[in-house]
Amino acid sequence: MPIKSYIIIPQLDQKQSLMDDIAKMEGCEVHPAENKEVLVLVTDVETESEDKLLISQIESNKNIKHISLVSGYE
Amino acid sequence: MKGKAIIFFGILLMISAIVIFDLSIRQSNVSASVVTADVADVVPTTMLESEVFSLQDLAYEFKELESIGSEKTLADYYKNRAYDGAPPRIPHPLLNEKGIGGKSCLQCHSNGGYVDRFKAFAPITPHPDFLNCNQCHVPKKTNNLFVASDFKRSAPKHIGSGVLDGSPPPIPHDFQVRGSCLSCHGAPSAAKEIRVNHPERVNCLQCHAPTNNRQITWERKSTEEEGGME
Amino acid sequence: MNEQIEDKDLSRRQFLRMAARASAIATAAVMFPGIVFAEEQERMIEKLGAIDVKWTKTPCRFCGVGCGLKVGISDGKAVAVKGDPNSSVNKGLCCVKGYHSILALYGNDRLTKPLIRKNGKLVESTMEEALDLVASKLRNTIAESGKDSVSIYGSGQWTIPDGYVASKLFKGAIGTNNVEANARLCMASAVTGFLSSFGLDEPMGCYEDIDHADVFVLWGNNMAEMHPVLFSRILDNRLKRSVKIIDLATRTTRTSHAADKSILFNPQTDLAIANAICYEIVKNRWVNTSFVEKHCVLKEGKTNIGYGLEENFQFNDEAKSIDFETYETFLEDYSPEKVAAYSGVSAKDIKYLASLYGNPNNKVMSLWCMGPNQHTRGTWINNLIYNIHLLTGKISTPGNSPFSLTGQPSACGTVREVGTLTHKLPHGVVMNEKDREMAAEIWKVPVENIPSKPTHHTVSMFRALDRGDIRFMWIQVTNPMVTMPHLNRYRNGAKKDDRFIVVSDVYPTPTTDIADVVLPSAMWIEREGMYGNSERRTQHFNQLLQPPGEAMSDTWQLIEVARRLGFKEQFPWDESTHIEEIWKEYSRFHVGKKHGMAPYEVLKSQAGAQWPYVEGKETKWRYHGKYDPACKGDTFDFYGKPDGKAWIWARPYEPAPEIPDSDYPFWLCTGRVLEHWHTGSMTRRVPILHQAVPKSYVELNPEDAKRLDIRNGDQVKLISRRGEIVMDASVDQRGKPVSGHVFVPFFDESYLINELTLDAYCPISKQPDYKKCAVRIEKI
Repeated sequence: MPIKSYIIIPQLDQKQSLMDDIAKMEGCEVHPAENKEVLVLVTDVETESEDKLLISQIESNKNIKHISLVSGYE
Repeated sequence: MKGKAIIFFGILLMISAIVIFDLSIRQSNVSASVVTADVADVVPTTMLESEVFSLQDLAYEFKELESIGSEKTLADYYKNRAYDGAPPRIPHPLLNEKGIGGKSCLQCHSNGGYVDRFKAFAPITPHPDFLNCNQCHVPKKTNNLFVASDFKRSAPKHIGSGVLDGSPPPIPHDFQVRGSCLSCHGAPSAAKEIRVNHPERVNCLQCHAPTNNRQITWERKSTEEEGGME
Repeated sequence: MNEQIEDKDLSRRQFLRMAARASAIATAAVMFPGIVFAEEQERMIEKLGAIDVKWTKTPCRFCGVGCGLKVGISDGKAVAVKGDPNSSVNKGLCCVKGYHSILALYGNDRLTKPLIRKNGKLVESTMEEALDLVASKLRNTIAESGKDSVSIYGSGQWTIPDGYVASKLFKGAIGTNNVEANARLCMASAVTGFLSSFGLDEPMGCYEDIDHADVFVLWGNNMAEMHPVLFSRILDNRLKRSVKIIDLATRTTRTSHAADKSILFNPQTDLAIANAICYEIVKNRWVNTSFVEKHCVLKEGKTNIGYGLEENFQFNDEAKSIDFETYETFLEDYSPEKVAAYSGVSAKDIKYLASLYGNPNNKVMSLWCMGPNQHTRGTWINNLIYNIHLLTGKISTPGNSPFSLTGQPSACGTVREVGTLTHKLPHGVVMNEKDREMAAEIWKVPVENIPSKPTHHTVSMFRALDRGDIRFMWIQVTNPMVTMPHLNRYRNGAKKDDRFIVVSDVYPTPTTDIADVVLPSAMWIEREGMYGNSERRTQHFNQLLQPPGEAMSDTWQLIEVARRLGFKEQFPWDESTHIEEIWKEYSRFHVGKKHGMAPYEVLKSQAGAQWPYVEGKETKWRYHGKYDPACKGDTFDFYGKPDGKAWIWARPYEPAPEIPDSDYPFWLCTGRVLEHWHTGSMTRRVPILHQAVPKSYVELNPEDAKRLDIRNGDQVKLISRRGEIVMDASVDQRGKPVSGHVFVPFFDESYLINELTLDAYCPISKQPDYKKCAVRIEKI
């Protein structure tokens, strides 16, 4: 059961819509910073392949400027 | 246990993430710059990044003194101040009531060292630039009170509260007037419970994250936040 | 930690998710300092073991520096303090009093219920009964003996709304000018100094001058102890850019040890030294001639003006214009050589001082507080320091700053700006018809209500109480039974049978001891309010705590009594918004570029705002067009005077009223120590402060001590013509008086040094001189 966390910087003014997008995906938990354009994302899925799929989906979102893995458990 | 090992790996990742993340920002078309926040102009008393590295010349000496160190406990530490974060009292007679900074207190408290008279290591001030020591630190001339006090001190902060077993504990206090980590956590005068066994790794913030970090005086701003460059 | 979380029955998976999130948030915190993750982070920090402390800004309760604090509140109690890094006053650093200020709220003997004297004893009562009694006594006294038989006496510890409501009630509604404040004992000479030299009160400069000045001359000002936060700022500047600090004083103190040069002078000769500096400036052609020609005029006033010791003493100064030659002739008496003969300062040192001021490349800041103010020629020495800055044109620009410091948190904000002095109104003075009309309109009272003549200044008011001309006195937030000079006389007067004294305070004091009614007050952050500090900065604080028991703010006590007297229309405010309403009403007095006040919302949102607050901007330096929008043109404009010119005064040296002789051979000087503030009624209840300086003492010069066979800690008796006291000797400890001098701190109610001091005062400011009288010492 891979559980990972990421830090994401959205494109300018896209924090809210990016949050909405990601929150819709199964296995994702988003925590926005109150005062900065930063999101923390925690993913939690059953298998490695699901994990790969999920992350590629997320990375394809145009509203993401940067995404970076912080910690992982596999 | 496989899980734990990976968690440790996660911590490593977390550290490298900072570096990689920083690099990736630099490489992209948005230049990151360390800007000085407005507050920094008026705040000589909160932590500056450079203060974290103060006393690093002494770090190896601290390391060698690791086994001797003082017997001071955290309880002693708290006993000497009115609340967590209050300026500590001077627990010994003053050498000289009139003196200021360099000519008196700082003789012992700028770099520390063993003082035979008190059978103790002198604590090192985290703010040697403030010379009017008695402005905040005063001795005790009597045990009596004028009137009993109903002031209730709140419980001190927990220490060692790493999120994971073995992860570096975060910093539970702010940095106002105490930006120099080694003076309270590395020197042999430090309280046992908060003295580190690795004073030579001087870049403390690399692993120990501030939890109450709203006082830090610099922030990273991308040019986009300032109005965009494209 | 693991166990703890598992105890809480988090599933393994939840735990891992939480851990992943925590590390991401911790990483983000390192990369983006200051980042906040709403409730998520708060919850996590809780789990990490931090205490839930809410930090809120407030100005410090104690001195006039007005440091910004952040007070930590947890579970309805104040638990911690740190300096507010957003405050430009102290930039995050406090002194030991500020750091421990919250402990002053929690003395075990807080007054929580009103006390009423019945059969000679103070007994507990209810607020309702006590306020009814105060109102009926006020009404009856006015009916029997007239409006001028009732009075109110407050202090620079009054918040702005307290002072405003007090003035409105007594001057506007009741109709007496019997309104005075402890600041008369503390700041009055600074006020008359400003008014006579510039026509408007309060400093032209600000604390930021410290970061620009090259030379600091401290006139009788032990800053290291009395204004430590500002002194540290000077020391900080010396570390960074080698500035010079000159300590010009009558006693060797911590400040002298820190200074680059310590110059000791004989009491009262500061007048001569200031003139000698001007003599040198003129003689060496260091006068900024174009500045003086364009922006100054020269005046002389009356001489041999007396000391106010006689009952019903009256004095009014008169200014006469003089030309520069006349001024030069006046200065002839003050050559450094002549002045050296009686000042104790060598001609060389006087010339050195003059050269520091005279050097056109130096920016000079002069700082002073009680030394020049508590002085029988207080107005004069204030004028003379301004003379030096005016002759050299070193004024109203960054780093060129004659700066009068204050001792109380709102001496400026309340007493000087609201005008809680007998001759003052929130705008202008009672003698001026237009000012009375303005007050009557804003206060909604008939203009005839406000008497056009001032009545009593503080010393005179207590003398009137002694005589019986005043029969009712309401004392709020000060402790005159410790601070009045020649104390025995005024205590006996206040205790007379048909005098009615109401005291509003937070702890029992020697003043509550003589009260007929004691009202428990809400202190500092137990209510909402504003203070105004020495650099024209108004600072708002919210109510952060519940006052204990029935304690009530001084503002609300006054409103309750006013309503009982039938003044509901003038005091209509709702309890939840009254501070805001009062601020809005009060601000109307100061509308305009010369004294505009920041709006309530601004004060609430930031660590203070400096007036004149004009179009959303604070004014750091007054009287210069570059910084002050009230000026005509882009250069100097001293608009307090009708012709825009500042006054240089020819003020002579005149001796002190009581000089040591063979019967009383020592000078007695009184003052403060770093750890205690004012009469110690708050600081002595703070364990760390009391334990640092548990009681008062008399400082002796080591040679005098040796001659009298007195050792450190011995008991000695001090005797003046008015009283005597036995206390411990302090020899060569914190301070060292010159031979022939002694020094005693006044904070200790068990050692009332003011029973010995003299009630002589400056005839212009009416401020007593606590720094000079004659005593004898006997070893016990």
